[in-house]
Amino acid sequence: MAILEEPIKGVPTAKNYINGEWTESKGEMIDVVNPATSEVIGKVGISTKEEIDSAVAAATEAFHDWRRTPAVTRCRYLFRFLHLLEENFEDLSRVQTQEHGKTIDESRGETRRGIENVEVACGIPTLMMGDTSEDIASGIDEYLIRVPLGVFGVIGPFNFPFMIPLWSAPYAVATGNTVVIKPSSEVPFSQTRITELAEEAGFPPGVWNMVHGGRTVVNGMLDHPGISGITFVGSSPVMRDVIYPGCGKTGKRCIAQGGAANILVIMPDCNVEATIPGLMTSFFGNAGQRCLAGQTLIMVGDDDRFYNSFVEKVTERAKAITIGYGLDESVQMGPVRDAGKKEKILGHIESAIKEGVKLRLDGRKPGKIVGGYPDRCFLGPTIMEGLHRQMRAVREEIFGPTMGILRTKTLEEAIEICNESPYHNGHAIFTSNGKHARHFQYDVISGNVGINIGIVAPMAFFPFSGMAGSFMGILHTQGKEAVRFFTESKVCIHRWL
Amino acid sequence: MKLCTASETISFIRGLEEKAAAFYESLAGRFPAKKDIFLGFANENVKYVKQVRMAYQSVITDAIEGCFAFDLNPDDFAFETDLPPDASLAQAAAKALEVEDAILSCYSKGAEQSGALLADVPRNFKMIVKKRQNRLEVLRSMK
Repeated sequence: MAILEEPIKGVPTAKNYINGEWTESKGEMIDVVNPATSEVIGKVGISTKEEIDSAVAAATEAFHDWRRTPAVTRCRYLFRFLHLLEENFEDLSRVQTQEHGKTIDESRGETRRGIENVEVACGIPTLMMGDTSEDIASGIDEYLIRVPLGVFGVIGPFNFPFMIPLWSAPYAVATGNTVVIKPSSEVPFSQTRITELAEEAGFPPGVWNMVHGGRTVVNGMLDHPGISGITFVGSSPVMRDVIYPGCGKTGKRCIAQGGAANILVIMPDCNVEATIPGLMTSFFGNAGQRCLAGQTLIMVGDDDRFYNSFVEKVTERAKAITIGYGLDESVQMGPVRDAGKKEKILGHIESAIKEGVKLRLDGRKPGKIVGGYPDRCFLGPTIMEGLHRQMRAVREEIFGPTMGILRTKTLEEAIEICNESPYHNGHAIFTSNGKHARHFQYDVISGNVGINIGIVAPMAFFPFSGMAGSFMGILHTQGKEAVRFFTESKVCIHRWL
Repeated sequence: MKLCTASETISFIRGLEEKAAAFYESLAGRFPAKKDIFLGFANENVKYVKQVRMAYQSVITDAIEGCFAFDLNPDDFAFETDLPPDASLAQAAAKALEVEDAILSCYSKGAEQSGALLADVPRNFKMIVKKRQNRLEVLRSMK
């Protein structure tokens, strides 16, 4: 198949967008590398503390007028933004593939999911409505107004460079706040394209800001007294040790979404033919770099014949996965984001082998890479058998195209393993038995629960949930919970004499 | 090379529909008495391409899980549209039925394969198969 046209041409520099102006960062410039081709496709600056301070100052100044702009008017900016996102749907999708490596199908899915959040935020005049009670005592009325708080920081991860900042930013600006977005410096161009469209949509200067960079920008956001709250998606250690305590220290609101090591439970009564494609996409889609990716497959029951037949089918299907550059439409799995991440995944596989697992399918060296690209960031799918519940490969996040299989005799034992995991993001069960499904849903500790669904990604009008080691905070991104997060409840009690 | 991803399957279907649309446009030129019918078919083909594209891009599952949804052999749905210069309307209709047969088979098999994983794409494939039944009747009446 031919490669779809690449949207990022030449070697552009991803600039900051502060107070309605595009400026090149004063910090160190680093390369942005396409992980499939290993080509440098752009540069991005690691912005300085002064640059983040300047963005927060612009956002603070813009907040005064933006908060006073009627919600319906704010919505019209969002509707224009939405229209531009739709108009540029394909270009935005290809940017993600070019800078991140995911397949074009996955990028288009990500684009759709991002846009859906803008669509939901367009309903803010209704979503933001408060509550009223007449005569709470004779002649006294009480009502609640949801008011914006000020400036919010949005810190995005590398694995969904387009969608994840849109879990927050549209709701923040729709509710009358202003934002400073920090994309991952590994994949800065998706947010740059979004910000260009936000500019074209006409948001007043200072309402929508973007600062590229790394730790300096993150710490600058955390320490800044002018930022009211932060949304973060990234690794659990950063969530736990940096973001959450940092927000606590300065009294910021916080939504912190971390890692995962999701478990998919297979009951012998599942619909095998329908389940296997779902497992492929869950474990190997996005090269396993999803916080909702399956990592461990628990096969329930002691029927060896079912086990062997099922695992054989899974292995055959995984073996046939086409690997290559995601802009080739025939490719089913792209590379991981960079060579360092590949090494880390390989380390997990090696460690599991030392602990005694057997490789049913060895993806450490990818087979054929369509297009003959260098294998620097490519891995094949790996299937490991013989895991037990205490192994690192079950308990630690691998974030790569691996499937570790372990067996339990009962569903109860499988649920126990899910619940003793340090992560509780998106566990799932595959079964055709409603009782098993309900038992799992009821007893499993997981922010998102799948029943015959391998990627338990909530729609924009539901919160992207997450529990325990996968999440810190109270409210979640997306939908009504995001609206609550980005507003404070102001309660008014009136008596007129 | 089999078609496995939603992206390449939809591109392949677009190719089939466009080829068929060009065929119907040529028939409209050759058989002026049936011009409106053949141009109508060509326009419908364009609409079907759009319908499938919208289904694919409108539901997250259809894109994000699309990489593993199909296993179609493109050779199974190949068709030729060449007709002899002096072909009669009946011959043209017979050729058109072959074209339709190939396209319908692609939609039907695609719907069957992807039904467990995708949402709107297989549903739209089935809708198109159903809608095209009228076209088959019209073509058969020309034979």
